[in-house]
Amino acid sequence: MITERQEEQAALHALGLLEGAERSAFEHELAGDAELRALVASLGETSAALALTAPQIVPPAALKDRLLAAAPPRAAAALVEFPLARYAPWAVAACATFAALWFGFQTFRLRAENQSIRTERDLAEIAYKMTQGQLKERSLLTENMINRLGNQLKRQEDLSRMKVTALASLLGNSKEAQAIAVWDPDLQSGLLTVDKLPALADNQDYQLWVVDPAYQNPVNGGVFKVGADGHTALVFKTDQPIGKIAAFAVSLEKKGGVPKAEGPLVLLGK
Amino acid sequence: MYFVSAPLFRPLAFAIPRSPRRPARMTPAAATSERDEQARVHAALLRAMTSGDKSALGRLYDLLAKPLYSLAYRVLHDHPEAQDVVHEVFLQMRDKAGLYETNRGTVFSWAATLTRNRAIDRVRMRKRRAEIIAESAPEIREETPAATGADTLAWQEKSGAVRAALTQLAPDQQAAIELAFFGGLTQQEIAARLNAPLGTVKARIRRGLLKLRETLPAQP
Repeated sequence: MITERQEEQAALHALGLLEGAERSAFEHELAGDAELRALVASLGETSAALALTAPQIVPPAALKDRLLAAAPPRAAAALVEFPLARYAPWAVAACATFAALWFGFQTFRLRAENQSIRTERDLAEIAYKMTQGQLKERSLLTENMINRLGNQLKRQEDLSRMKVTALASLLGNSKEAQAIAVWDPDLQSGLLTVDKLPALADNQDYQLWVVDPAYQNPVNGGVFKVGADGHTALVFKTDQPIGKIAAFAVSLEKKGGVPKAEGPLVLLGK
Repeated sequence: MYFVSAPLFRPLAFAIPRSPRRPARMTPAAATSERDEQARVHAALLRAMTSGDKSALGRLYDLLAKPLYSLAYRVLHDHPEAQDVVHEVFLQMRDKAGLYETNRGTVFSWAATLTRNRAIDRVRMRKRRAEIIAESAPEIREETPAATGADTLAWQEKSGAVRAALTQLAPDQQAAIELAFFGGLTQQEIAARLNAPLGTVKARIRRGLLKLRETLPAQP
């Protein structure tokens, strides 16, 4: 619906009477109103028709000559005769250049990607080696710890398995004499350490006996002598296998020992 | 005191077929058909210019130069300047031919608008507005149209029809429209010239142009 105001503005616009802000505002309104545009176009035609009311005058003939002289033919016709063959090599060259640029760009891009992937791989490898080293280090520590614990357990087991017995003196002249006997049932061997036992004559020996309830008589553990300080350490084995030890005993025997204890007992320990 | 009304009616005398040399009027249907054909020819010549047709400009000039030159002279009252304007308008049409759209109006309408605008610009640039105004509206000299080979019956019919339609307007409406179209005056200058309030002048122009549109035969 066109208002009277719009009709007035359209008429003024058609006669070129709208200026400045008034013209801008109307043309803005015109842009969004097809009906108004149609009215303006129609009034524009009417306004242009007023030109015919002017007294008709024939322009001088020279005006046409002047116009045609000043308006040389335009180059539009040249577009029709497009010499394809002439420009084909250039088109091919342009395509080749474009292709080369494209491939160059792709190569550059792929190289950059490849370098990036290599860097990532190197970093991953370094991280892997570091982790591997840490694991190895931890593994060694664990192994050492296990070994240490194992050794401790073994020592404790050995100690629990071993039979350790302190032997006391039974002689009146050597009250201070002391001896400790340690027996390993697995190895069927033992260690006897003696202190402050009186030294013996050359025709005498001390003889160690191991009392096992499984045997009627004590089992021979070997003979020994002590030095001037009354000390010695003897690694001994028994003549017969020992199952359970009831006591250790040391007797004074003739040199070389006897199969069955005969002399007085010097030390005894259960 | 300046009186506009009486002299303004002088050009309308062309609408009266009093001269035996004037061709007989066509029927309205025939005239419309002729105008449509004329508009199509103008548009085709404009398209031909865009495709490099060397003769199109000359042919279009033959068809439009006379009314455009008459318009330019009507505004400028100076033959050399009118020639310059027409020259510039045809060059502009050739250069802008590719931008022309048929749904925006006829080629003649476009050309007439370009001519009028350029002529009015020149009037203003000469800074002799008051002098030109004094000469333009009241002192229109009637010149006998010179028949040429390029003149067509349709042009003459349409020219007569426009003049006849103009005479049907109220004198104050006619004066306001002619001062605006040929004189290139602003709204305020027209109001001052006609010694009427601005709102009144606007209303006269609106009513006059709308009536003129109704009275004129269908536009091509």
